Amino acid sequence: MRSFSIGLRTAALLLLVVAAQAQAYRAPRSADGHADLNGIWQALNTANWDLEDHSPAPGTMWETGAIGAVPAGQSVVESGEIPYLPVALEKKKNNFASRRTNDPEAKCYMPGIPRANYMPYPFQIVQSPKGILFVYEYASANRFVNMGKPEEAGSDTWMGTNYGHWEGETLVVDVTGLNGLAWFDRAGDFASDKLHVVERWTRSDRDHLQYDATIEDPSVFSRPWKISMPLYRRVEKNAQILEFKCVEFAEELLYGQYKKK
Amino acid sequence: MRRLLIFVALALPFAPASFAQQTATKVWTPPKTAWGDPDLQGIWPGNMGVPMERPKGLGERTELTDQEFAQRVAQAQRASAADAVEFAPKDERIGIGPPSYWTERGKPTRQASLIIDPPDGRLPPMTPEAKAIQAKTPAEWAGKANSYDDVNLYYRCITRGAVGSIIPVVYNNGNQIIQAPGYVVIRNEMIHETRVIPLDGRPHVGSNIHMYLGDSRGHFEGNTLVIETTNFTNKTSIGSNGVAYNGQGGRNSEALRLVERLTRVDDDTVNYQATIDDPKTWTKPWTILIPLKRDDKYQFLEYACHEGNYALKDILQGARKQEELQR
Repeated sequence: MRSFSIGLRTAALLLLVVAAQAQAYRAPRSADGHADLNGIWQALNTANWDLEDHSPAPGTMWETGAIGAVPAGQSVVESGEIPYLPVALEKKKNNFASRRTNDPEAKCYMPGIPRANYMPYPFQIVQSPKGILFVYEYASANRFVNMGKPEEAGSDTWMGTNYGHWEGETLVVDVTGLNGLAWFDRAGDFASDKLHVVERWTRSDRDHLQYDATIEDPSVFSRPWKISMPLYRRVEKNAQILEFKCVEFAEELLYGQYKKK
Repeated sequence: MRRLLIFVALALPFAPASFAQQTATKVWTPPKTAWGDPDLQGIWPGNMGVPMERPKGLGERTELTDQEFAQRVAQAQRASAADAVEFAPKDERIGIGPPSYWTERGKPTRQASLIIDPPDGRLPPMTPEAKAIQAKTPAEWAGKANSYDDVNLYYRCITRGAVGSIIPVVYNNGNQIIQAPGYVVIRNEMIHETRVIPLDGRPHVGSNIHMYLGDSRGHFEGNTLVIETTNFTNKTSIGSNGVAYNGQGGRNSEALRLVERLTRVDDDTVNYQATIDDPKTWTKPWTILIPLKRDDKYQFLEYACHEGNYALKDILQGARKQEELQR
């Protein structure tokens, strides 16, 4: 019994050591001494279909068969569900019902923040001491994170006004000036132009980048809420961002009805 | 012209003086990034005012005379005066162009033409095949609106192409350069595009992958960033907004090989030089030079082109309405 107890203690200690080591991962340094976030990253989850828990489901068009179907997935929302105000929840349901034509992704509109980070396309972080550029493959969207003194957003945009600072190993990006036209996913989750997103980017090991974001919009949600997910490094040799200029793929949807018959 | 070419050729491996000060002898050492690459970072908007092709009368002369320059300055001043007019006169036809005060006007320069090679500053002859394509592809939208694809790529907010995104136009000329170890990124404000250029000498992507902005690979030769780009589509043009060579239509071919050279020649100038080698379109390569001036105060805006493209819908709807009225 005694030796079992010692064994248990040792195991507990070992676990603590392992946990401490996991905590203590220290990323390679960038030129200016911060954690190096450079790389091509991609989510490997179903958040772009639905941030919340969801069962598999058919797509919006039977013509695309199983190719267009929705894979099941677990929630990336910290508390499981998004705390919508009642009116906003109605709007989300309407969004969902009209998603085939109304999801901004279907129209090839810029994805906004946070959605850009977990779409099924890679993005590249280009980290310079002078600022950090996010280059998304989807729709050639991009945003420059200014590391200088934050200023009020000049005008509302799809990708927001982005100011960054470091809190130890974590890059914190404060995103304001979002126009509220982008959705969060294909399930119709949304916010308004009062949306404020605070992102936290932390290297958790060589090939993983932890992404956490706090989402706040008092006109849509009853309280701030969080999403959290790992992003994965695209480790393929010669991985690179290719072009996905999707405007052409959306033109028939957007303008087909105005063509000469 | 020969003098300029020799100058450019000699000066490239060193730190050359700016185009406008080609006789300056003082060697300027450009700053380096913390990891040792020449530092090209900043916002470098292009400025309009230099024609693509040189007026024939100037021959091989690369710079304007005092008199010609005075004319260019006077013209720029007249244009600026028009900027004070906020609203178009009542009787003016509803235009498709922007109001004058939107225009980003740079300081006039003496540069006679963007094309610096061939020495006469004019486009080399096109191949017969390219001429046939040109006849079918007008630069400006010619009014046909049966479908969205009757309208050019620029009006459809798809792309302006690699070079067309840098050639100065009326507004939103922001070009931002960002660097990280192993990469240079060129970010263009209008339409919103980025080219992430690896510097590690990797091979190009496979020949079946085509991209509007091509597949770029870079390396430094002294202080000059040399970018070699292939894997283009045959849907863009090398010229204003990617739809025209020089007010004329036409398209480059998929065989296009673009070589760009970016050299920071002083604190406030990056000389952007692009050699267009597309044997299926032009009988010999040609080169343009655009001195880009740094502007730290430039507001690089989000150009949500497609998201706000009411024009394309209105063009198509208008055409259908017109047909209905003519029935």
